[in-house]
Amino acid sequence: MLLFDIALPGLVLGGMYALIALGLTLQYGVARIMNLSYGESLVAAAFGALSLYTGLGLSPLMALLLAVPCAVLINWLLYRFLLERLMRRGKDRGAQEIDSILVTFGVLFVIQGIMLIAFGGQYYSYSYLSIPVVVLGTTLAVNRLVALLFAAAIGIAVYLALTRTRVGTAVRAVAVDANAARLVGIDVAAMSGLTFAFGGGLVAIGGVLISMFLTFNASMGVIFTMKALVVVIMGGVGNVLGALVAGLMLGVVETAVARLVDPGLTLAATYALFLGVLLIKPTGLFGRAAS
Amino acid sequence: MSATTRTGLWCVALVLGAAIIAFPLYVNGYYLALGISILYFTILATAWAMFSGPTRYISLATVAFFGIGAYTAAVLGETWPWPAVLLAAAAIGALVAGITGLSTLRLSGIYFVIFSFGLAELIRQLVIWYEVNIHKSVGRYLFSAVTQDVLYWQLLGLAALVFLTGFLLGRSRYGLALRAIGADETAASHSGIDATRIKLAIFVVSAVFMSVTGAVMAPRWTYIDPSIAFNPMISFQVVIMALLGGAGSLFGPVLGVIPLVLLFEVLTATLPNHFSIVLGAIFVMIVMLLPRGVIGLIGPVQRKAPASDAVAAKPSTREQSGQLLRVDDVGKSFGGLRAVDQVSFEVTRGQIVGIIGPNGSGKTTLLNMLSGALVPSGGSIRFGGVMIGGVKPHRIARLGLARTFQLVRVMADLTVAENVAAAALFRSAAAGGGETTVELLDLVGLGKMQDIPAGDLTYIDQKRLELARALALSPQLVLLDEWLAGLNPSELETGIALIAKLRDRGTTIIMVEHVMDAIRALCSHCIVMNAGSVIARGAPDAVLSDPTVITAYLGEADA
Repeated sequence: MLLFDIALPGLVLGGMYALIALGLTLQYGVARIMNLSYGESLVAAAFGALSLYTGLGLSPLMALLLAVPCAVLINWLLYRFLLERLMRRGKDRGAQEIDSILVTFGVLFVIQGIMLIAFGGQYYSYSYLSIPVVVLGTTLAVNRLVALLFAAAIGIAVYLALTRTRVGTAVRAVAVDANAARLVGIDVAAMSGLTFAFGGGLVAIGGVLISMFLTFNASMGVIFTMKALVVVIMGGVGNVLGALVAGLMLGVVETAVARLVDPGLTLAATYALFLGVLLIKPTGLFGRAAS
Repeated sequence: MSATTRTGLWCVALVLGAAIIAFPLYVNGYYLALGISILYFTILATAWAMFSGPTRYISLATVAFFGIGAYTAAVLGETWPWPAVLLAAAAIGALVAGITGLSTLRLSGIYFVIFSFGLAELIRQLVIWYEVNIHKSVGRYLFSAVTQDVLYWQLLGLAALVFLTGFLLGRSRYGLALRAIGADETAASHSGIDATRIKLAIFVVSAVFMSVTGAVMAPRWTYIDPSIAFNPMISFQVVIMALLGGAGSLFGPVLGVIPLVLLFEVLTATLPNHFSIVLGAIFVMIVMLLPRGVIGLIGPVQRKAPASDAVAAKPSTREQSGQLLRVDDVGKSFGGLRAVDQVSFEVTRGQIVGIIGPNGSGKTTLLNMLSGALVPSGGSIRFGGVMIGGVKPHRIARLGLARTFQLVRVMADLTVAENVAAAALFRSAAAGGGETTVELLDLVGLGKMQDIPAGDLTYIDQKRLELARALALSPQLVLLDEWLAGLNPSELETGIALIAKLRDRGTTIIMVEHVMDAIRALCSHCIVMNAGSVIARGAPDAVLSDPTVITAYLGEADA
């Protein structure tokens, strides 16, 4: 049935978008760092999983245990030694945002360059759990379903951590107003560093899971960055549930356009949808009104 | 500078100019190609900085316009005469910039960055789709009689044009207006600057230069496909170059273009595999170490505020009397909350009217409707016979209604004098010459601080500056929103004296204030608001002893 043919693959695709956007929600939405090297970090994690799988025969789900702590550490160092200085230098949030865009843009090229040297420009993929299952008359791959489940579980976990724990509340306070947070005794720099680092950890999860079913190469990071940005901004900056909804929506729209109009127009549809949402609700579907 | 050194400099400039113009005649193809690269990035980066420098809207849409130009040339190049092709590229670029600018320039910060990047990608996707499905092949060949020499000279002409445009823009009032918008758009609008139109106009001008550059460059490739014409790297490179050089000044970007084009050249030749690592590292270093670009190292650029100072000083003399402002049944709702409910009052010329009331009673909302920041939900506002309810802030400001803000808003990056000059840019001709910037600053006591960036002033001095900026509009009516709040007793005294001085010059004033001593000392008439409605009006002493007013401030008396 056509409806299921669009809705199910659309939701699965959307789950992937939500997954790759989760880390950015934290890094941009909370730590206020527009990380343009986001997609490159994601691809780097994918390469990591690939190397572990082909080299050591380690399953991607096991690779997570290794990749996530590494990513958290690297991102924390990145924050500590580059970004924190910019955050201190910027006079206002606008200046900080622009500086962080520019510096992570440089980081993008460094990561991409390292990957190009290590892996060259060709496409890679490997086969893990690519077993077809039939759901409601539509064929789906198990690995994509696993990714979807992970996206949902992590999304809910992050949401609960942000809303139900003390540290989560402090993190949200920093996101709303860093200066006011400082006044009530929150260590803003430490919280931002922590959030940025954990955002990096989520990026690694996204990268590892995606490597199970997607063909990737060293220079396609920017596609992921854009998709993640589209999802985060559409969902409302810093809004985890918004990112989930926006990701699913984007997946369904893309699948529908590919099925009903023209597969060549899916990317155009993404941007058109995104630009449309920005024009009508500049703060995103679930965003707070601009102050 | 003596006459001989000046002649010497002119000679050097002439020789250098001649060398640049004659460049293709004496160098080989390799250096010519390098010269072409430097020129086209110079045009793109200068055009980019023309808009993005002062407004700080980081645009990644450069390649969208560049690609539009290149594709126009590829499609029309073989059938149309070349000048017509360039004009067509300019027109299409302007059209696309106009449409997108109109809808997107209200986005700010990160949203604009992402939008501009998305725009370039969207256009690229659409072109690819069109070529695949309608034209049935993705690439296009462009055989043109344009040689590399001619291409170089075309670019050189275009570069001269972009510098000339930038130079004239910087000297015109639009240049200062654009910087004022970049510093604080709200304050700029309330100073009579039509922010939307100016941003749009300069965005379009900058896009036209980018489109024409694309068209001029097209013959260089002979084969064009969307991934060449719309290569996002171009947008990024332009941003790096402009920022490295310094986007805040006209010749800043070119200082970034030359070293970076040469560096890219060396890198691709010697370290092709490590190109992007080195590029990235350099970029990180630029951002970390040179926040204001190469030109920032040379020292702060002294800008001359545009001509408004030269206007002959003529104290505003207005002896008219009678009604100046009439507010009838004005209301404003936010969702279900009626912040202001059916408020009516009149202000006659030369009067100081006080608006008082507890916090949250709708005073600032009322001022915001008078100054155009908010559109009233109902009722009418008549200012000097003109209906101004729902009119845009810059129009109201030009009519002679100026304001200050409760949370002080100065244009932090502009100097004190520029803040005031920016407000004088578009004041109505009817307002006459008014005072010069210097006189206004003397009036508020900032005469010695003209060249200090407004952001470095103390809070009190920023409030003084706001008042001077409001007065620069030669206003008939000034709205002061808690202008005296936060002053210490001696400052309060000076502040009250200053407002009295304004009244004596014939300026009408509406002041929202919590300092009752000031209300008593200054106001002839007073309006008390509570929960959005006027609950009392009359002379301050009478109003302040009114039991309803006391209840509104202090609550019911204990039984």
